[in-house]
Amino acid sequence: MAVTEDPGKPRNLAERVQRLQDRVYSAIFHNYVWQSIFRSGYPNTPRNQMLVVATNIFLHLHPTRIHRTHVKITHTYCLGGLTFFMFLILTVTGVLLMFYYVPSVDSAYQDIAALETNVKFGLLMRNMHRWTAHAMVILVFLHMMRVFYTGAYKPPREFNWVVGVILLVLTLVLSFTGYLLPWDQLALWAVTVGHGIGGSAPFFGDETQLIVFGGFEVGPSTLIRFYTLHVIALPIIAAVFMSVHFWRIRRDGGMARPL
Amino acid sequence: MAVETRAAAQPAAKARPRPKRQREEEVLVWPDLVFVEFIAAVVFTITFLMLSVFINAPLLNRANPELTPNPSKAPWYFLNLQELLLHMDKAWAGVLLPTIALGFFASIPYVDRSRAGQGVWFGSKHAVRLTLVSAAYSVIIVGALVSFDAGERTYAERLTRWIPSCNAEAQHQGTPCLQDAEGEEHTGLLSTKDISKRLEFSVPWPNFLGVDDSNLDWPRDLDRIPVPFNNICGNVGSFHLWCDMNLNIPSIMAEQVIPLSTVAGFAVAIIYVLFRVGWLRTKRDLFIVMFTAVLVAYLALSMVGSFFRGEGQNLIWPWEIKVDEG
Repeated sequence: MAVTEDPGKPRNLAERVQRLQDRVYSAIFHNYVWQSIFRSGYPNTPRNQMLVVATNIFLHLHPTRIHRTHVKITHTYCLGGLTFFMFLILTVTGVLLMFYYVPSVDSAYQDIAALETNVKFGLLMRNMHRWTAHAMVILVFLHMMRVFYTGAYKPPREFNWVVGVILLVLTLVLSFTGYLLPWDQLALWAVTVGHGIGGSAPFFGDETQLIVFGGFEVGPSTLIRFYTLHVIALPIIAAVFMSVHFWRIRRDGGMARPL
Repeated sequence: MAVETRAAAQPAAKARPRPKRQREEEVLVWPDLVFVEFIAAVVFTITFLMLSVFINAPLLNRANPELTPNPSKAPWYFLNLQELLLHMDKAWAGVLLPTIALGFFASIPYVDRSRAGQGVWFGSKHAVRLTLVSAAYSVIIVGALVSFDAGERTYAERLTRWIPSCNAEAQHQGTPCLQDAEGEEHTGLLSTKDISKRLEFSVPWPNFLGVDDSNLDWPRDLDRIPVPFNNICGNVGSFHLWCDMNLNIPSIMAEQVIPLSTVAGFAVAIIYVLFRVGWLRTKRDLFIVMFTAVLVAYLALSMVGSFFRGEGQNLIWPWEIKVDEG
């Protein structure tokens, strides 16, 4: 808190330290630059705590107040939020992996092998990317189960449930397109299985293989297509649907509550 | 912000008045929710950092289109589709059934429109037992069906091994027999698909509709049944219409009718039983059973694909799995 009235001389050392703390605090949180970034004061009063949520672009996904049952962990187990958090980790680690990876059949495998041995924390980043990708798929399913078994898809949240189903598909496709990129035996043959499944679509089998996989077998054109889908097209589409998903939670009246 | 939130929730209040939302019931998002989110994020970050330090992502040999690993498997979340491919027509397994499942998921809130029971876990009277029963049922049925179909160690094979081989000299026309590949040991039906591919039998039949020897031979006489207006050739865009369209009845039976009606039959059976027992009363209850069964079957089929399929996609125990890298 800023000290407004003249407090007189400090009486002892403790008071001296307290004064010093206040001045440092004031210098950090009440200076011109800080207040140009954060319009509200430090969130240590109810008013500022509401303002900080309402005036911050990242925090204003939330309402400023929330029913107390909704902050119980067992109400949602944070599953939707954690799915989104996995997406963020995947974006960060994915960008770092992109620095070292060239999506061509000639170099893809060597790039990954070199990433694991020659790049500082390269192996760690690849491991993080892989395990969080699996976690994201699992969390999406768990989140879907949570929403279903708590009846949270019911009116007025019907459409947001449909957006969620679309996000489930996008997550699976994102994971699947990433699966090919290391261009090892695991990747090639797993995607070959998927290629066969895509080709079995009635009426559109050949078209699916040509358009999505870029040919009648998994090869260089599949790699570049999957790479482009994986690093730019699908993340953008997923981000759009996620925005709708989060926005609709607020618009549809927050989290589902008993009538 | 909070004002808007309540305004959006108003229609719900109209349907059935609920006790007024009180300010005392509410907490501030900062710190109560933001703190929980932050801790969850930190815990997950640390967990995955640790996991990534100790367990490396797999990297096999460089991709080689000449060397097919045996078995080659899809990622785990698509292994269930790969498993279904062994049991039925590939279009159904790979595309139609998943599409139907997703369409079913998406349509749930448009059919179950009641607002009752939202916001609480298992909010109807029998929800928990419906979930448990349909999950257990789904596991048992998937396990039983898989142990019957697709592989050399299935019950179907054991139960049909008595059917003689068609290659034997003493084979008379009319008795059922199984075609065996040249030089292979005699086996029973390895999968439902064998019903159209290897099983042969004939029944007396009047001489018309292409039958000329007083016997209807399975599958020979039935595998090229022309559709009506066959051979009116034409093109619409890149699609060739109605040219040489023949139905392969044995294949349709073995790869579509039998597997799909089996699955549908088991689904209808559990729903009927739960309805008669009195646990299944509302659309919500029906969807709990269907959703649980579909999701558990998805998971169970993935497990079968991961742990019980070895070389040649044969049914084996998890500890026997060996991958031939090609």
